[in-house]
Amino acid sequence: MSQMEKKAGLLRRTSSSKKPLKEKVVLMYDEIFSKEDPAKNNPRFWDELFLMKVNLEYLESKLESVDGEEVQRIQDNINSLFHHCIQALGEEHQIKVVNALQTLCALFRGVHQKNKSASGFDIINVLMGFDKAEQRMKDLMERLDSLLCGDGSESLKSLCLKLLLCLVTVTDNISQNTILEYVMINSIFEAILQILSDVSSRGQHGYDAVVLLALLVNYRKYESVNPYIVKLSIVDDEPTLDGMGMVVHQALTEYNRQYKDKEEENQGGFFSTLTSMVGSMFIADADEKLSVQTNEAILLALYEAVHLNRNFITVLAQSHPEIDIAATPATPTPTTPTTPLGTTPPSLDMMSNPELPLDPNLQTSNLLITFLKYASIVMQDTKDEHRLNSARLCLIILTCIAEDQYADAFLHDDNINFRVNLHKMPMRHRKKAVDKNIPSRPLVCAVLDLMVEFIVTHMMKDFPMDLYLRCVQIIHKLLCYQKKCRIRLHYTWRELWSALINLLKFLLSNETTLLAKHNIFHLALLVVNLFNMFITYGDTFLPTSNSYDELYYEIVRMHQVFDNLNCMVLRVSTNTGQWKEAASKVTHALVNVRAIINHFNPKIESYAAVNHISQLSEEQVLEVVRSNYDTLTLKLQDGLDQFERYSEQPKEAAFFKELVRSISLNVRKNVSLNTLSQDVLLKEFSTIS
Amino acid sequence: MEETEPELSPAPSEQNSPSSSLSTSSSPSLSLPSTPCSTCGPHHTIIPPLVVINEGGAELNLVIDAEVAQRACHEVLQKVKLHGDGHHLHNRPDPETPALTTAVKPLKIQEEEDNPEGSAPGSVKSARRRQRHNPSKQSWLLRLFESKLFDVSMAISYLHNSKEPGVQAYIGNRLFSFPNEEVDFYLPQLLNMYIHMDEDVGDAIKPYVVHRCRQSISFSLQCAWLLGAYSSDMHISTQRHSLGTKLRKLILSDELRPAVPRARRDPLTLMSFCPVISPATGPGPPGGDHGLSPSKRTHQRSKSDATVSISLSSNLKRTASNPKVESSQDEPVRLAPQREFIKSLMGIGKRLATLPTKEQKTQRLISELSLLNHKLPARVWLPTAAFDHHVVRVPHTQAVVLNSKDKAPYLIYVEVLECENFETSSVPIRIPENRIRSTRSVENLPDCGMMAEQRAGSFSVVPNYDNDDEAWSVDDIGDLQVELPEVHTNSCDNISQFSVDSITSLESKEPVFIAAGDIRRRLSEQLAQAPTTFKRDPEDPSAVALKEPWEEKVRRIREGSPYGHLPQWRLLSVIVKCGDDLRQELLAFQVLQQLKSIWEQERVPLWIKPYEILVLSSDSGMIEPVMNAVSLHQVKKQSQLSLLDYFLQEHGAPTTEAFLSAQRNFVQSCAGYSLICYLLQVKDRHNGNILLDAEGHIIHIDFGFILSSSPKNLGFETSAFKLTTEFVDVMGGPDGDMFNYYKMLMLQGLIAAKKHMDRVLQIVEIMQQGSQLPCFHGSSTMRGLKERFHMSLTEEQLQVLINQLVDGSMRSLTTKLYDGFQYLTNGIM
Repeated sequence: MSQMEKKAGLLRRTSSSKKPLKEKVVLMYDEIFSKEDPAKNNPRFWDELFLMKVNLEYLESKLESVDGEEVQRIQDNINSLFHHCIQALGEEHQIKVVNALQTLCALFRGVHQKNKSASGFDIINVLMGFDKAEQRMKDLMERLDSLLCGDGSESLKSLCLKLLLCLVTVTDNISQNTILEYVMINSIFEAILQILSDVSSRGQHGYDAVVLLALLVNYRKYESVNPYIVKLSIVDDEPTLDGMGMVVHQALTEYNRQYKDKEEENQGGFFSTLTSMVGSMFIADADEKLSVQTNEAILLALYEAVHLNRNFITVLAQSHPEIDIAATPATPTPTTPTTPLGTTPPSLDMMSNPELPLDPNLQTSNLLITFLKYASIVMQDTKDEHRLNSARLCLIILTCIAEDQYADAFLHDDNINFRVNLHKMPMRHRKKAVDKNIPSRPLVCAVLDLMVEFIVTHMMKDFPMDLYLRCVQIIHKLLCYQKKCRIRLHYTWRELWSALINLLKFLLSNETTLLAKHNIFHLALLVVNLFNMFITYGDTFLPTSNSYDELYYEIVRMHQVFDNLNCMVLRVSTNTGQWKEAASKVTHALVNVRAIINHFNPKIESYAAVNHISQLSEEQVLEVVRSNYDTLTLKLQDGLDQFERYSEQPKEAAFFKELVRSISLNVRKNVSLNTLSQDVLLKEFSTIS
Repeated sequence: MEETEPELSPAPSEQNSPSSSLSTSSSPSLSLPSTPCSTCGPHHTIIPPLVVINEGGAELNLVIDAEVAQRACHEVLQKVKLHGDGHHLHNRPDPETPALTTAVKPLKIQEEEDNPEGSAPGSVKSARRRQRHNPSKQSWLLRLFESKLFDVSMAISYLHNSKEPGVQAYIGNRLFSFPNEEVDFYLPQLLNMYIHMDEDVGDAIKPYVVHRCRQSISFSLQCAWLLGAYSSDMHISTQRHSLGTKLRKLILSDELRPAVPRARRDPLTLMSFCPVISPATGPGPPGGDHGLSPSKRTHQRSKSDATVSISLSSNLKRTASNPKVESSQDEPVRLAPQREFIKSLMGIGKRLATLPTKEQKTQRLISELSLLNHKLPARVWLPTAAFDHHVVRVPHTQAVVLNSKDKAPYLIYVEVLECENFETSSVPIRIPENRIRSTRSVENLPDCGMMAEQRAGSFSVVPNYDNDDEAWSVDDIGDLQVELPEVHTNSCDNISQFSVDSITSLESKEPVFIAAGDIRRRLSEQLAQAPTTFKRDPEDPSAVALKEPWEEKVRRIREGSPYGHLPQWRLLSVIVKCGDDLRQELLAFQVLQQLKSIWEQERVPLWIKPYEILVLSSDSGMIEPVMNAVSLHQVKKQSQLSLLDYFLQEHGAPTTEAFLSAQRNFVQSCAGYSLICYLLQVKDRHNGNILLDAEGHIIHIDFGFILSSSPKNLGFETSAFKLTTEFVDVMGGPDGDMFNYYKMLMLQGLIAAKKHMDRVLQIVEIMQQGSQLPCFHGSSTMRGLKERFHMSLTEEQLQVLINQLVDGSMRSLTTKLYDGFQYLTNGIM
């Protein structure tokens, strides 16, 4: 605060001592901040003001420096400034429009900076005045709408979107941004859709439009009826939805590419390993180099589209040739500055390219594949909060996808085969897989691979229980679909089984530490029930008879784990305590697995004894299994193929609130109006005016 | 086109122009079945009531009065001479016929020239000749022309052989009286004559073609494509000014619209009287997002990336959003949607050809087709289909790339809705891919109530559609009801029902026990029950797709389609060939079709399957795929069995009914195709070009090497046709009854073919005109073909010949060699 005063004082001092050297626009601002009506002496004051180049810093700091009482006095002038800004938006003179847009942005920012604690109503009052607020905002939104939809300058459109982004993110918590109430009433949804449906405008503004939409959808999502949610859920125009998918696709592709570049950079020869070794001596975490900053805003947009709009599911499977962004010459566009993240549109030149490139080396790809690749990168490391959030959001999106019948249909479609190169974490005990030889398979295989990969790689002290639960539930949902539709997927289920058994093993060996934080019995129950799905309904979805034998083999082979689990849950369920009920559920779920172990183990032992073999081969065990099915009776368990549908509220509400907050902060940080430098605009408009 | 400059030239006169030249004399009772009566009406009054003999008359008076006939013939010839004057008398501006007026030249003296085709085969022809010199004989010809026996085939033959404009003009008019379908069969011949023969023939044909073009969009396009294809062999300089090119341009300029709106179009065609709608001058009606519309926004939208690769203009737009606009624009864009559709299919083929692997091609194909889907439904159709329809969706994931070395032919399945008339019926409303969404928007569909009722009666494949509550319910895999094939429910015991639906009721305290052995058994049983499918092979993606029984495929695609619940829903398929000349295929198709009808007429049970060919240009086209058939190569590769063992596997033991009927089918089709191969000298007969269908028929495909051409001129395949020992084994060995039956069938088939030889020769002969096709290479093509019918041999001699041919083919080493050669070079087994 003191610093603020100092700054203000400094400003004041300079203004008094060096008045003649001030820009004209600054003088005009000063006039606004005096008590008098600036137009009183100069009737053309407002006209002139918008011809001046905006000094954002000055205006913002001026607004910030005004204290409580002063505000009351100059409120009329600020209202008037706001009013004239809106009027200037309708001007033919494009320079005026640009200046008005920037001034508005400064107004929104400055007033909010000043009044962090103040209620939204005060802010509205300061800016527009209560009585006129409704009309002013209506005018503003209409002007913006017509600017966005008109065939005016692209830079103007870009600036409009930046202004809207600025307005939407001006508070940390979007739901507390009262001005947005007017944005709800005066919807600009249609303008956003139009931008997305048109190839060229999508190329330039698609990114901002999608982020804006994602944020608007999250305004008071749980408290009131948000018209953007309603409207987004019923969009069925394919070019538009496709456009949205393309924007997300491009952003995720760009991320994947950046990651790949970094990865290659890091592995690039001896010298770079040396430097990175040296570097890692100074930088605490060498992995830091590998982490490209995640982009939750675009992921949130993908989530909202998948979650709210059933038609969007078709877009996921809409294939496009995979576009290597690096290969396309980047034509620098003045309107797209490169900032680290947030509102940086990835180079979108190719999106406006009306013809698909004819490069024979291009692999066809679709949004879902790109998303899976992205998820595989993000999920590698969930230590930092952004990546954890990203990983969680990825799994939530996958949950929504796994629940959707249409999505399942194309995930399992035998005719849609793809090679999906998932990123795998380099680990000590396994060498990096040779990516090139991945067979072309239905997409669900990639999803399952991703889940298996996650399960194997995240058994750590800081156990991401929430992610594990989601992961296992996704697998369960996919199995339910396969069972219902009798889809016999040719997948190496063994990998999944052994991953799940290892997970149980991990839970057992870290029981005490994990129990302090998590209900491990719930996860154990889900895992055991996955096995129950295979045991009881395997006939409906396993690809071969052998695979059923292999399931038994795997269970019998790893019987120690199940035995231990059984002991543990018995122990916990007999004690009275917090976990009694949860543990006893696992006991019941284990009944068939135990039956299998108890049935086959003696048979195998006697086979070994009879044949004098100390160590049975796999084939021999399978033989024993095959010949002893008939004497084994299993219990049919209830509700194995039932699952709880995903619902955002109330379970996930807190997560999304936090997520939106962090996205808001990020976007705000990166909305850069200044980058639209006056020179560029002048150059562009000089020919027009 | 200079002559069509007047915007609204008097339509009725145009309409009448075809009949004006000659039929003025005959029209009173020579009814033109296809001509709208309203247009004939006014004309009747001008025409003096002339005595005319026609079909109708012939039926009434079985005996044709010779005198009447003679007089009529004189009238005909007289009219031809006065033809030009007649026009001036009527004083009608007639944009189509100025050529006719100039065409009336003094009778040519061509009759003195030698008939280049050698002696006329039939007595009819010589009769014609004589009548030239002897007026009294003219009635003879006329009697023939007017008799019931005079069919399209003869008409085409006379058109081709006659050198006399009068006769040609007469036949040109006579064409109007044949059913459209019959003339359509000879369309390639007609157009080839139009392109490559003298102007008189052209003038005789043109009115008919123009008339038909006015009537039908699909006929117009068909003509345009064929004209383009058959003009392509001309030298570039002559081609530009040729009649064919001009006519093609005229058709494609879309000026041959129905001049008078038909009655049923009236509600839609208010616009058509407004001069604005001329495509060249007028912008589209306001509000429509039509390609011609100047509105910037819609223009940009049409470039949205649904069109990224397929530059379908927005002509091919879907109309769900605004059906009204569409119908009013119906007229200006008559031909455009279909042309765009075809163009985009060809574009896909061209782009696929640039990709190196089958896998990439398949993926690309699927993605391109899914973009194409965005533009459907539209007023487009598959020309190979037999009924009127609109294409509503291309189930893109079902499409497959076919095996070809350097080209990229591909097979697509196309969902269509059958309709009364694709030109006038309204285009179906789009239903989004995601079916549940369509139920939400069901309020928008005017006839949703009716649809629901229809559904309840006939379809059970679409769950959650019946009432609104369900329609609104979320559609997740939890409530997914799967219609299981009957097999499962039949074969499963009680307990397995539990396995299908888990017990959710907790009331049943009694634990339910199941035997692990049962689960395991069911698994292996169900796996065994599954019909034999081919294994998926990324290098041969079409094998799996083609092996799947058609009904099965239809059911599957119907279930997955948002349009599947509609009663008019049909599934079609088509092979798109890009970079291949299908003109020979079309010729082969015609010959096969002709032989088929000959054999049907003569009641000999030879079986062949001509498949539809659509020639789009000299290097592109479409082929109707043969249903339920895979190539012998695929059979052998996938099953690793001999052909006989494969028959046993598919149809059962040798004594079973199924096997025996499959064997009979095999023999009848072998006989048919053996004859075809012999007569047409079909070469390149490796196992990839011979299909086997689910009923045991073989079907030869790929007639790229027929008549005078053979692949690479290696001199392989000297045998008359392909008859391997494997074939003979399926027939029960060389001493079996079935093998004798095979030879007997061939003999009967050859005798029948010989009897109607002219009908076959004529097809080939006309197409030879002006053609550079390799099958016409050399000078002896026609002679060789004719010789293979062995006109001079007696039945006994023919039998000997057949035996020789069969023995020769069986012993032929070259067949084996050729298969080996194919295996080495193309990997075809």
